[in-house]
Amino acid sequence: MVGKTPVRSGSLEIAESTGLGLRSALAGALIGSLLSVMLSPLTGCNGEGQKQAAIGSAARGTLTVAVVNYPLQYFAERIGGDQVRVYFPAPADEDPAFWIPTADEVAAYQAADLILLNGATYAKWVPKASLPSSKLVNTSAGFSDWYLQMDDAVTHSHGPGGEHAHTGTAFTTWLDFTQAVAQAQAVRDAFVRQRPDHAEVFRANFVALETDLSALDRQLNEFTNLSDSAAAQDGPTLVASHPVYQYLARRYGLDLQAVMWEPDTVPDLSQWNALDQLLASHPARWMIWEGEPLSASTAQLAERDIGSLVFDPCGNRPASGDFLSVMRQNIVNLRVAFD
Amino acid sequence: MKHVLYLAWRYLAHHRVKTTILVIAIMLIVFLPVGLRVLVKQSERELTTRAMATPLIVGAKGSPLELVLNSLYFESESPPYLNHGEVTRVTDSGLATAIPLHTRFRVRQHPIVGTSLDYFAFRGLAVAAGRQLAVLGDCVVGAEVAADLDIGPGDFVVSSPESVFDLAGVYPLKMPVVGVLAHSHTPDDRAVFVDLKTAWVIAGLGHGHLDMSTPEAAPGVLRREGSKVIANASVMQYNEITAENIDDFHFHGDTSNFPVTAIIVVPHDEKASALLQGRYLGEAEQVQIARPAEVMDDLLQTILTVQTYVVTAVIVVGLATLATATLVFLLSLRLRRREIVTMVKIGGAMGRVTAVLAAEILGVLVIGVLLAGILTALTAAYGSTIIRALILS
Repeated sequence: MVGKTPVRSGSLEIAESTGLGLRSALAGALIGSLLSVMLSPLTGCNGEGQKQAAIGSAARGTLTVAVVNYPLQYFAERIGGDQVRVYFPAPADEDPAFWIPTADEVAAYQAADLILLNGATYAKWVPKASLPSSKLVNTSAGFSDWYLQMDDAVTHSHGPGGEHAHTGTAFTTWLDFTQAVAQAQAVRDAFVRQRPDHAEVFRANFVALETDLSALDRQLNEFTNLSDSAAAQDGPTLVASHPVYQYLARRYGLDLQAVMWEPDTVPDLSQWNALDQLLASHPARWMIWEGEPLSASTAQLAERDIGSLVFDPCGNRPASGDFLSVMRQNIVNLRVAFD
Repeated sequence: MKHVLYLAWRYLAHHRVKTTILVIAIMLIVFLPVGLRVLVKQSERELTTRAMATPLIVGAKGSPLELVLNSLYFESESPPYLNHGEVTRVTDSGLATAIPLHTRFRVRQHPIVGTSLDYFAFRGLAVAAGRQLAVLGDCVVGAEVAADLDIGPGDFVVSSPESVFDLAGVYPLKMPVVGVLAHSHTPDDRAVFVDLKTAWVIAGLGHGHLDMSTPEAAPGVLRREGSKVIANASVMQYNEITAENIDDFHFHGDTSNFPVTAIIVVPHDEKASALLQGRYLGEAEQVQIARPAEVMDDLLQTILTVQTYVVTAVIVVGLATLATATLVFLLSLRLRRREIVTMVKIGGAMGRVTAVLAAEILGVLVIGVLLAGILTALTAAYGSTIIRALILS
């Protein structure tokens, strides 16, 4: 055992806590003042009564908001404007879904006024961290019934606990822009609850954001299978380099299957074999990448008559631009596959 | 005067047995009602202060007193569980903040309180050394726990197994102490705090083991059926959560069905409090909502009634004892008549002789009262411990 704690003797602490200190009581006894003992009002303070219940006391001033990914940072900044300060410590080269904060960073999350979660099992560190539940806002809770279960779950069983799986749901919820609007709405509502004085500002900012997100939704619908246009009824067969486009595929009717590749790594032989197996049943002509792929990868794909396009989920801060500009570029990139 | 006191002292010292009996009698006459009063006053304060600071408690249907005592002091028997979904129910109502409590386990004699960080803000508990809970498995200890177990940040505590003979029961979990709370002079000083999820890990609802799909786990695999892996009993479960294995920890089942022992409910305002209480009045309701202040008031009424009876009895006994002591003094004077005459004959003034006798009586009274004062002070000093032993446990 190490690290002695600077605490005082227990008996003295108890005496002080009772308001009738041992030493003072002894002194009182020594002067024979029984009466004073009998009448002494036991009005000592143990501190409990003076404590303020910090819960629910919405402090005024700038709202500190901690988020778990970049889309929520963008939504929070757009809706909150000058009224919020957003904390998002994940390094730019990390995937926030799998990034693990340090104890100090967890402490910073704890200290925020609000903690915006993506939900749908995004940010794997959240269930294993201690966060004040009164500050947590699951921005996708409103459509949790629509979460997509990961279909590559490995289940196992041992002991009395029975069978269980360690994978969760698909989590890039914002790639369905109607869901992104719902998440932004949850952010707005949380801000309004915390700072009712600025409700009008938050609502106005949300309307502007909703307009932008709805425009993205419309643009995608113009050429994907949700569109009424005859050309879109027979969309291309696609393969994703990573299983992160489930909600995009569901909303916009993409014929999409995924492999487990990384843009900055040339796939090994087993990965190429897995792709070839997939292509036998799913003859894709385009591969969607999260980031710019290596030329070696695209060249080998081209040999299989598969084109490459980038659709950045934008889970972390983009190198340039913002969420909106990245998504606009994504739509332009994806459109190529439909032309 | 000095000689008078010396003679009185010598007399009392010479008749030790008689003096001791008289002193004890006087001491008890004084101490019993005063000490009882001190104890009752302390009980009143001990029981009401914390109850007053806790607006509402939700728990499974059963004894409200048991629910409140366990939720406030973590001492009495753990009340029946309710589902964690009830926490969501309170939160979703938008009327209050819900703070879950799980108080089933212990580190030696100290209760392990599984809760959320909101508890610390609610009780105004500050970390004096180290840091606050950050990840699964962390614990922060109350100031008395740190002193009692001689631990601080960087040390470890191990949850106590509920029964050494229950091999299939709850396994101990080794937990790093990451912080020590400042003295709050409340039951929180005697508790070990963990995240609610850590309490569930101790309960066996969550656990960590090797990823069964990895080659390292092959010896523990009984068979594979497609994406399903059947493991044998040799799969080693971690008994400590570390940075290396925390990713392997997981929970089985729907956490909304996981247990909590109580929920501290902090309504946003009086109206919200009234609305919330109304929602738990249905006969089909499986949970109860208690106002700790009212429950403690009921308990105090019982204590005060008992006190009245006891004080009455003590006063009667005290009067009888006082009468007996007076009789002892009077008989003693009669027996000492020849001694008094002798003192006068050898030149002692009658006033001086009377002063010696009065000093003897006064000495007995003063010593008795002094001892009663000391006992009262000790009662006041250890009142919290006595109350915990008599009422809360």
